[in-house]
Amino acid sequence: MSSLLTLCAAICLLSMRPILMAAQEATYDENALRVDQRRGTISIVRGVSETVVAKVGAFRGVDVAGIVSPSANAVAQAKIFEHDYRPGTWIASLGVATLGLALGSYRIAGLNQAIPTGLTIGGVSLITYGGWRLGNAYRALSKSIWWYNRDLKR
Amino acid sequence: MNSRFFWALTLGVALLSGGAKAGAQSKNKGEAVSGPAATSAAVTTGERATDSTRTYVANALRFETNWGNVSLIRGADGPTVGTLGWFRDFDLTQVLASSPSAVADARVFETNNFRGSVAGAIGATTTLIGVVVAANGSNNAASPVLIIGGVGVMVWGAQHLSMSYSALSRALWWYNRDLKR
Repeated sequence: MSSLLTLCAAICLLSMRPILMAAQEATYDENALRVDQRRGTISIVRGVSETVVAKVGAFRGVDVAGIVSPSANAVAQAKIFEHDYRPGTWIASLGVATLGLALGSYRIAGLNQAIPTGLTIGGVSLITYGGWRLGNAYRALSKSIWWYNRDLKR
Repeated sequence: MNSRFFWALTLGVALLSGGAKAGAQSKNKGEAVSGPAATSAAVTTGERATDSTRTYVANALRFETNWGNVSLIRGADGPTVGTLGWFRDFDLTQVLASSPSAVADARVFETNNFRGSVAGAIGATTTLIGVVVAANGSNNAASPVLIIGGVGVMVWGAQHLSMSYSALSRALWWYNRDLKR
C-alpha cells in the first residue's frame, strides 16, 4: 500500500512539473512577439533576443496560428491573416503584371486602344483589391500579436 | 494506517506545491527587481498578474498601416491614438515618452518613414509621367528611363518604409514591455 502511495505521490509531482515550467517560461521579455519587415519578407521575432520564429515571404505561407496557439483570440486573428495574406499577395502581383502588360501594349502601334485601356483598368483593380486583402491580413496579424503578448504571464 | 498515509500524502503534496509556488514567486521577484517594474517587487504574483492584465489591456499599443498611413491604436479594437500620413501628424515620441528605448526606436521610425514617403512619392510621380509619355505614343527613350528610374526610386523608398515599420514595431514592443505590471 505504501509503495502505491509513493507511486501516486511521484505521479503527482511529475504531472505538476511541466505546468510550473510553462508558467515560468512564458515571460514577456523572453516570449513577446513582434513583426520585423526586411525586403518584402515579414519575420515574426520573439523576445529581447529577437529570435526569428517565422518568416512570411511574398509567396511563402506559415502557420502563424500555431505560433500564437496558447491564446484563443490570437489564433482567431492569425487565421484571418492566413486567409487573406497569400491571396492578397497573388492578386496584387497579378495586378502589377497586368499593368506591365498594359504599358507594353501602349507601345504597340495599331493595337485597338480598348486593350491597353482594359488592361490598365484591370491591373489597377487587381492591385487595389489585392492591397485591400493584404491590409486586412496585416491588421489581423497586428491584432493577433497584441492578443498573444497580452495573454503572456507577467 | 491507510488514513494516516492519505493525510501524510495530502500534506506532502500541499507543502511541495506551496514550496514550488514560493520558488516561482522568488524567481519572478528576482526578474522584477532587474526589470523596469522593480517598484512592484513586493506585490504578490497573483496581484501582479491581475494588475498587469488590466494595465496592458488599457494601455498597450499596436499599429496598423492603411495605404501609406500609420495608425497607432490602443488595445485590440480600441481608440486610435494618432495617425501619421501625408496630411496628418502627431508627436509619436511624446506618446511613447514613458519608455526611453521606445523613444529611440520611434526616432528611427520617423527618419526612415519620412525618407521612404518622400522617395515613394517622387518615384510614383516619375513613373506616372513615364506612363503618360508612353501612352501618348512617343517612341523616344525618355519613357523607359522615367519608368525604370521611377520604379527604382519607389523600391528604395519601400525599403525605407519597411525599415520604419520594423522600428515602430520595436518601439511599441518596448513601450508595452515597460508598462506597469
